[in-house]
Amino acid sequence: MQIDEEQAGAALVIAPAGRLDSVSSSELEKLVVSRIEGGERRLVIDLAGVEYISSAGLRVLLLAAKRLKEPPSALVLCGMGPGVRTVLELAGFLPLFAVEPGREQAIARLGGAALA
Amino acid sequence: MDTRRLSVPATDDGVRIVLDAVAALMATHGLSKAVTWPVEVSLDEVLANVVHHGLEGRGAESAVEVELGLDPAAEPPLCEVVVVDDGPEFDPLSALAPDTSLGVEDRPIGGLGIALVRKLMDEVEYERRDGRNRLRLARRLVPMEA
Repeated sequence: MQIDEEQAGAALVIAPAGRLDSVSSSELEKLVVSRIEGGERRLVIDLAGVEYISSAGLRVLLLAAKRLKEPPSALVLCGMGPGVRTVLELAGFLPLFAVEPGREQAIARLGGAALA
Repeated sequence: MDTRRLSVPATDDGVRIVLDAVAALMATHGLSKAVTWPVEVSLDEVLANVVHHGLEGRGAESAVEVELGLDPAAEPPLCEVVVVDDGPEFDPLSALAPDTSLGVEDRPIGGLGIALVRKLMDEVEYERRDGRNRLRLARRLVPMEA
């Protein structure tokens, strides 16, 4: 799977493309874990390029949320298409995440406040 | 009914082959991801379950048989999928639904797959037949919102 990254101020944007399924999600997991362990504390995961997400992909999002739970760490999701949003909703995941429509808003949400 | 039969190893590669095949079948009939994703997600959940749990450790020596059926002329188009494996008897529909009201800290990782399949598909039926697990899924291909 292709995964793009963009550093935007205090935030790192990670943008996977294609299917977030049981085979490909481990690639996203490795990248997210390595970035958090490398010191990134404010992550945007941009799902605009994701065709669909299964529970394996949800697992990676949950893992990231758990690792970035203590402020000033934060995770924002953006770019969800209708199918991706529906899966998060059916799984009861939407209340667990900060969600913005687009990448700009997600970055603004993370970069707006000064680093604690 | 356009039907494809595949026999794939019970490995990640096998899962990938099936997911590619269902995407190709849908695309052949001009069906968009907007209506096909629930079937593709469900197939990933079911196959991941078989590969990672049912046939754990037997991987490449064990085959999973998948039958993909699509009736593109139906209104709306109808998709039917049958997954057969020779792992130990396991009815995924007997698993308890996860508690989706828990917060981030308490939410167990995993256990969501089959619950999603039940919500995404119109029909899900399990049968133990001839010493094999047989799961049949069906869905009318219409857009879906939660």
